[in-house]
Amino acid sequence: MSVRDQASSGAAEAVPALRVFPLTERNGLRVAGEVVLPTHLIWERALERAVREDEAVYFLELSALTFVDVVGTGALAAAAQQLDDGRRLVLHRPPPALSRVLDMFWPDLSAIEVSMS
Amino acid sequence: MSAVAETFEPFLHPALFYAGEQEYLDGTVSFVRAGLAAGDPVAVAVPGENLDLIRTGLGADADAVRLLDMREAGRNPGRIIPGVLRAFADAQPHGRRVRIIGEPIWAGRTTTEYPACVQHEALINAAFRGRTVSILCPYDTRRLDPHVIADAYATHPTVIHAGTGTGAERDSRAYAPEDVVARYNEPLPPLLGMPSLALSLSFAADSLAPARHLATDEAARLGLTGTRLQDLALVTAELATNSVVHGGGSGTLRVWAEDGYVLCEVHDKGHLADPLAGRRPAARDQRGGRGLLMVNLVADLVRVHTDGEGTTVRCWFAR
Repeated sequence: MSVRDQASSGAAEAVPALRVFPLTERNGLRVAGEVVLPTHLIWERALERAVREDEAVYFLELSALTFVDVVGTGALAAAAQQLDDGRRLVLHRPPPALSRVLDMFWPDLSAIEVSMS
Repeated sequence: MSAVAETFEPFLHPALFYAGEQEYLDGTVSFVRAGLAAGDPVAVAVPGENLDLIRTGLGADADAVRLLDMREAGRNPGRIIPGVLRAFADAQPHGRRVRIIGEPIWAGRTTTEYPACVQHEALINAAFRGRTVSILCPYDTRRLDPHVIADAYATHPTVIHAGTGTGAERDSRAYAPEDVVARYNEPLPPLLGMPSLALSLSFAADSLAPARHLATDEAARLGLTGTRLQDLALVTAELATNSVVHGGGSGTLRVWAEDGYVLCEVHDKGHLADPLAGRRPAARDQRGGRGLLMVNLVADLVRVHTDGEGTTVRCWFAR
């Protein structure tokens, strides 16, 4: 039965991972995996790096990020609100859950720019 | 009895009992016009056909009023306080009385929706206590069951009978909103059809991700797509994480279909003591506290049962 098949495939990823890599071609990070309870700390550390930088634009390459929960999106919004004037975070291909929650609770956060191209 | 009871309460929350279009118009249009004449901000959130009546009754004055179809904006009653009433009231300048007509209960509300509707009406009183706001709630006495009208006396401190001519507001002697919240905190209805067809699984901290994946895959198989499927994933993650963090560390998750809806439900051993949880809008710079609010904003219906034994949250998503 299909549900059982899914159960066995799901068990392989019982502990979700979040991996963070520095971008080589520009200032920023590539983040892959899921932002959920067990990975909140890794995500928050990555965002602290972004806040500490002093370049005007910081890229978060998120095309391999599959899910971000509400707390994770809240941490991103809080990081964006801590940026010095004129600085911004550019999110490249964020997962739909992140965009949905950003639109819901922080629709006019000018320090966050979403790029889908 | 005491000085406290005599304290001036600026929040007004009358029920308006009406029978037929003329009484509806008499009661609602006069409320809107009084607000406009005083320079107060006014919003109307009522079912579409009644919205049309009020819009026509107001004529050109309708342009000065925020008009919302409650069938859409208030489909999930748990969304009405944060997403409709406070969303409007909090955006207005201080010092003005905010006036809102809110009609969350209409004849087409199902028996499944009704407990959430009447709990919402009761919780408006706690949510707006102390605020300079008037919320008028029309009740169709011809089409609503007598027990619904009886409940409206318990959820509203005052009542107005549109048919009496004077439109005078009288105290409701049956006013007891906390009793209503408790009385409708009832066990959720059993699953329709065959319960064995529901996906049912246990989860704990180390299995949150597979639980969400299984729930989302099952919802997709049952016909949920696009944003609705994303919303179910967000809701499942939120409720299951709450169980792990606040609800005893583990819980059970079920997903199934009924009629035009996919349902997901999370049960744990926790107790949800705050009836306004998920009904307060979040300040922009507030950390956390958005989980249950998000659930209320995206689901088409949320029902909760909570007591000393545990908490069950069931969410409906139209497919």
